[in-house]
Amino acid sequence: LIPLHQIYVVAFLVSKEIFISRGSSLGFDRFITVFSPEGKLYQVEYAFKAIASSSITSLGVQGVDSAVIVTQKKVPDKLLDASTVTNMYMLTPHVGCVMTGYAADGRSQVVRARAEAANFKYKFGYEIPVDSLARRIADINQVYTQSAEMRPLGCSMMLIGLDESLAPRLFKTDPAGYFCGHRACSAGVKQTEANNLLEKRLRGDLALTKNDTIQMAIKCLMNVLAVDFKASEIEVGLVSAENPLFTTLTEDEIDSHLTAIAEQD
Amino acid sequence: MTERYSFSLTTFSPSGKLVQIEYALSAVAAGAPSVAIKARDGAVIATEKKYKSNLYDEHSISKVEVITPEIGMVYSGMGPDYRVLVKAARKIAQKYKLMYDMEIPTIQLAQRVAEVMQEYTQSGGVRPFGVSLLIAGWNTTTNGPMVFQCDPSGAYFPWKATATGKNHINAKTFLERRYSQELGLEDAVSTAILTLKV
Repeated sequence: LIPLHQIYVVAFLVSKEIFISRGSSLGFDRFITVFSPEGKLYQVEYAFKAIASSSITSLGVQGVDSAVIVTQKKVPDKLLDASTVTNMYMLTPHVGCVMTGYAADGRSQVVRARAEAANFKYKFGYEIPVDSLARRIADINQVYTQSAEMRPLGCSMMLIGLDESLAPRLFKTDPAGYFCGHRACSAGVKQTEANNLLEKRLRGDLALTKNDTIQMAIKCLMNVLAVDFKASEIEVGLVSAENPLFTTLTEDEIDSHLTAIAEQD
Repeated sequence: MTERYSFSLTTFSPSGKLVQIEYALSAVAAGAPSVAIKARDGAVIATEKKYKSNLYDEHSISKVEVITPEIGMVYSGMGPDYRVLVKAARKIAQKYKLMYDMEIPTIQLAQRVAEVMQEYTQSGGVRPFGVSLLIAGWNTTTNGPMVFQCDPSGAYFPWKATATGKNHINAKTFLERRYSQELGLEDAVSTAILTLKV
């Protein structure tokens, strides 16, 4: 039983054969992940654009003994139960993440990440290190860039956790299947502006302590978006040497940081 | 779980070319430069690892990867595709060891990895890999080094010295002038670094 869309593709390919000229594509390079004449993958590039469609920005900062992820919390409708709206997820007790982009794709990736982490624990008897989990998610993303039957996911995952030497790590994966450790990174609508600001602020050896890291992250997000947050408008996730478990700050804790930031000015 | 495409996406053009492979080669040519040199008593592989921003943690990722204690690999092109091939190469090497109770010779590894790359140019619903691999290994039977290149087409070539990625034509011209069979390992390392700067 051949699916209808496959029949359309074959018929299209057969008819296009007569019109192919050197250096031009069949037209499918924009619809499935095959190479374009310039050697690019358009579907992957479009997936990156989809990340901005969620209209939120997230960022992460790696300090000397803690790693922090911060994201905007937008509750579009007053009738929604705000306590159920979140982009921050715990993947294992020691590794957490924030998803930026298509919410549904993000949730799907979180569910998969949790399954991979649990599988690792079952097979090997210890909790998956944060860099291995990031690599695994990135490898799965790569498969979607190479197979025609699955599209790349329109979301980017930023993971934090302490590594085997108990140093805080921040990793970011993207729809291209690329992943890397970061001293700081961002994702979402204002990604470019946020990265520029983080580069400036993190020049040189800063040795940020836990509270400094949290406040640096919140301040950068506020600056980039040019808003003064209320505690209910952001989410903050944290791992630190004093508490290696992934936790999200409560509204009161966020409030005290916001007050501290306000007092600094 | 997923519907599988039953036909290949890499098909012949009227002129007899496989355009998807040509496009994959463009992706490789746009990648970071890599170089491999076979010296008298060893082999060197090197690549440029430049990040556009100081926010990246350079030490979290490595581009030069160990496949077996005697074989290493580097690439030009798409990083995510490379990781897949590193995993495949490592598994191939271990399977060989399990079957034959000896470490896989470099030429065997290059041939089998190239076979994986060829499958992705002919199987249903997949695109070719957007990487060219440079594999360097020590050959215990002949007691000498070997260097191979594996292309997105699935072709593999032994080299005395070669370069891939950006500016590879100039880099290869540079190597043609500089290379000699009598190159020692230290000289080969400096030549590799100089080639990357070309």
